[in-house]
Amino acid sequence: MKKGQKILALLLAGVLSVSMFGCGQTKQAAGDAKEVATETESEDNILRVATSFAYPSLDVHKEYYGWYTSIYGISETLFKLDADSKAVPFLAKDAVADGTTWTITLNDSVAFSNGEALTADMVIRNIQRIAEINSRFDIFGTFTYEAKDDKTIVISTGDEVYPTLKSDLASPEFGMVDLDHTKDFDHNPICTGPFVIQEFIPEGDVTVARNEHYWGGDVNLDGAIFYYMQEDDPKLLAMQSGEIDCYNSVSSAALEVYKQEPDKYNVTSVAGTRLQFYIVNENRLDDAVREAITLTVDKDAIATYLKGTVTAASAPFPSTSAYSQVSIPAVDTAKAKKLLEKDGYTLNADGIYEKDGKPLQINIAYYAARSLDTVAILMQEQLRAVGIDSVLTVEEDPDATYISTGDFDLALYSMISDKCGDPLYFIDSTLAKDAYYNVGGFEDAKCQELIEQLRVETDIDQRAKLANQILQIAIDDHAFGYVGLFNHTTVMKPGVSGFAEDSPFDFYGIDANTTK
Amino acid sequence: MKEQKHIKRRFILSAVVAVILILIAIFSHQLAPHDPYQTNAALIRKAPSMEYLFGTDNLGRCVFSRVLYGAKTTIFATFFLVAISFVIGTIAGMICGYYGGIADNILMRLADLMLAFPQMVVAIAVAGILGGGLMGAMIALGITMWTSFARLARSHTLSIKKAPYITASKLAGKGGAYILCVHVLPNILEPVLISALTQIGTTMIGISGLSFLGLGVVAPEAEWGSMISEARAYIQIAPWAVLYPAAATIITIVVFNYLGDAMMEYRNRH
Amino acid sequence: MKKQIAIRVIELILLLIVLSLLTFALMYIAPGDPAEKRLSSQGVAVTREVLQAERERMGLLRPFFVRYGEWFVGILHGDFGISFKDDLPVAPKLWNGLQNTIVLAMGSLLLSLLVSVPVGIFSAVKRNSMFDHIARILSFVGNSLPNFLISVLLMYFFCIQLDAFPIIATGSLQGLILPTLSLAIPMASRFTRQIRTEVATQMDEDYVVGLRLKGVKEHYILLRNVFHNSIGHIFTIVALQIGTLMGGSVVIETIFRWPGIGKLVMDSITARDYPVIMGFVLIMGTIYVGINLISDIVNRIIDPRVEW
Repeated sequence: MKKGQKILALLLAGVLSVSMFGCGQTKQAAGDAKEVATETESEDNILRVATSFAYPSLDVHKEYYGWYTSIYGISETLFKLDADSKAVPFLAKDAVADGTTWTITLNDSVAFSNGEALTADMVIRNIQRIAEINSRFDIFGTFTYEAKDDKTIVISTGDEVYPTLKSDLASPEFGMVDLDHTKDFDHNPICTGPFVIQEFIPEGDVTVARNEHYWGGDVNLDGAIFYYMQEDDPKLLAMQSGEIDCYNSVSSAALEVYKQEPDKYNVTSVAGTRLQFYIVNENRLDDAVREAITLTVDKDAIATYLKGTVTAASAPFPSTSAYSQVSIPAVDTAKAKKLLEKDGYTLNADGIYEKDGKPLQINIAYYAARSLDTVAILMQEQLRAVGIDSVLTVEEDPDATYISTGDFDLALYSMISDKCGDPLYFIDSTLAKDAYYNVGGFEDAKCQELIEQLRVETDIDQRAKLANQILQIAIDDHAFGYVGLFNHTTVMKPGVSGFAEDSPFDFYGIDANTTK
Repeated sequence: MKEQKHIKRRFILSAVVAVILILIAIFSHQLAPHDPYQTNAALIRKAPSMEYLFGTDNLGRCVFSRVLYGAKTTIFATFFLVAISFVIGTIAGMICGYYGGIADNILMRLADLMLAFPQMVVAIAVAGILGGGLMGAMIALGITMWTSFARLARSHTLSIKKAPYITASKLAGKGGAYILCVHVLPNILEPVLISALTQIGTTMIGISGLSFLGLGVVAPEAEWGSMISEARAYIQIAPWAVLYPAAATIITIVVFNYLGDAMMEYRNRH
Repeated sequence: MKKQIAIRVIELILLLIVLSLLTFALMYIAPGDPAEKRLSSQGVAVTREVLQAERERMGLLRPFFVRYGEWFVGILHGDFGISFKDDLPVAPKLWNGLQNTIVLAMGSLLLSLLVSVPVGIFSAVKRNSMFDHIARILSFVGNSLPNFLISVLLMYFFCIQLDAFPIIATGSLQGLILPTLSLAIPMASRFTRQIRTEVATQMDEDYVVGLRLKGVKEHYILLRNVFHNSIGHIFTIVALQIGTLMGGSVVIETIFRWPGIGKLVMDSITARDYPVIMGFVLIMGTIYVGINLISDIVNRIIDPRVEW
């Protein structure tokens, strides 16, 4: 059969190439192109990277631009999230909370790329600028700040305690910029990172060069180029032709190609924080059906299809984190069937359960991104196998449709579950009363009470414990299903290391230790 | 005369192949060796074999069965769209041509407008309002398609408007609707119908193009354009999942275009 | 004639107003929220309060006609507005995209004409020759190929199987080759067929037969009379293809990531970036209707008998 396929391919190729008669000059051009490509591959100490996003500005504090200045190795934050999602010292030495007062101490040696030292006053003005121009961090505008000395900052959070301050400050948007000397925030911000901008093409490729005055010591690379490539296949092709050295968020098809040649490609994979989950509509589906769905959906099977790009999830966070210690029932289709039968459902001739003559058919709403289309198809198959029929509804824009109307039986969604090493953000967006994504009618007084506690709890262990309890309530109510967490997968040429391949987060890239 | 015969033979040949394709589409459910929606984790991206003639795709589904089912989706969506545009276009064109005046002016300006309208915007807006699916793509294409039928019907109506039998009918006191149905329609039907036939290939290109961009068919439904678009991501490791639906698309469009051409030529000789 | 042109221009302007209003209405009723798209562009969840504040800031909460009116007044002053996606002015975005699209469109138009004019004429002159048969078969098949399919197959064979092109070539000359080919193959096929038919029809005209009987040389008839008489029709054929070309370039630009106006509008539709979409519709409408107008005028200059 391989032969048949080759013939087919040849035929198609024939049709195409013959259709192109009369344009011999293009062949010539193709040859030239090849030469140019090989020239740029010469051995230098410049890392070539492909990125999926490209923004029009480098203003660290605006929008999500700081994610990319962080990836480019330009901006740095007071704290950094380590491989275990914990905020560890970076530009700052420490942050200590005492009730509503936080005291932050800066590292002595930190300086911007122009040699100016980072002062407490500069940090305060940076934070205030973020609060002003980034609506997602409005709350920082309500705090009061005081520079106790050149390296010490005291933040008072007003009447409420604000336990996540330290990890919030680790968000890439809080990259420190020299506000006094930066002339063009959009194109050339002066920051503290190991690299400085060399050429910036808005929404295009970005070139950085080593920061010769890096406060943290020697920088390995001479520089780096970040090529903007939105889609998966060009990244794979560029990696194969040697035009790039590394990239992350590798697709499952590309992964398979790389794994066939382990000596040519170095692939690492850690569980990330981008979650696929589903919301079950409690207003429409009764307890038995919801529980049957939980017992039927086989997350491991779904992860198998998504070959290496996703890890089956039990909680919304990577299983290694302290706040994802919950128990979920194992897949048990026999029990699911029993539950439905106990609830008065009987199997009809098509093998679908029905009650009062009405077949059990649920509406699964999804959007075709983040592999949710595959998840939807597989869930439909799995549910049908136990006798639950379903129709798939695809929307182009989930937020404007089923998330805002609540018109679904089961809704698939994907979002980042942990952006700063703390469980509150996800719990607050999905489980709290009136939360933006709590659209399936989930409501539980005990749960709400625990969430209120979580908002003000400062002890890290205690926070994890609270989070686990909250998540367990939602899981036991069969209100949500956490399907999979995208792996943070990085592919690198042999010899390349230090491209944030151990981090579960998407906003780290090159640093002083990156080598090629 | 030899050429005459040659044209006839071409026409019959292409008609036969087209009918075979339509039959395949109709009986795709009986012909398909596997359930085209059945996923199988053990059979992900398997190369073509005796069991799976065209191999399997990303979810272990049988590509051959999906291509067969896709024939049904593509061919019938095309026929439906051409038929609807044909009906609307012909009626609008006849009315414009027969009555003329303001109605004519407005309708023809509307036709101009529709031609300049970006299909993608329509497709996304309609898909958003109606909740996705083939309907969005069909409306987006239909919006520009009816105009060509309307123009054609209008110009043919204009050319027979002054014919003696129509004047006679008018004098006999027959109403406009009667004259349009009994005298005008049968006389303009043939050229417009042939034009409809030649539009089938173009329409197929349009539908598969939109679903390639993700604006047409909803998963998991099998449709060639969306199959190609989906399988493109792993073309390096499973080229069969792209090449077979691609071949099916090309063959079908070629056959229907050929039929339209042959029909056109056949008519021109008579 | 001046009066006729004036009427057509006024019609064009009215058409564009209706077009923009319709587009605005469609985008208005289609689900999707630019504020939400912007706030969650990295997949971080939004909150109701922040979302509402952002909508307010972007002016999305005002009534339909206020927003349309504002846009309209802006356009009258030559101001295309500010992008919802990144607060950058829309006009330079559209202008950059348009330039790239014109390079692509003109490249493929030129390539198509270079191939189809000689092939079409030669085919018509040497009817039923071997060359004619091959040209007809190829142009027939080429005309039946969807351009997205051509792109996918070209990419597969040239980039993967033959490894002939660098991947990082967006916006450069090498990056132009494959998208140009994808657009040019179906277009050249269509032109070849139409030019062949047109020239063949002219060749059968009585005047050609008459000239032949007078003993005028064949190539002289071809150049002096047939080509001269066909040029108007060929021009119309090309003009009618511009619309298809602009539509086709959306697909091609998306596949090859060519930074043209088609790719820009696809990205903008996804981000619900209304100001860019509106600008796109306006520009494309103008181009489309304008080219039709020019083609009518040219036809009239070539052949004054043509009716308006």
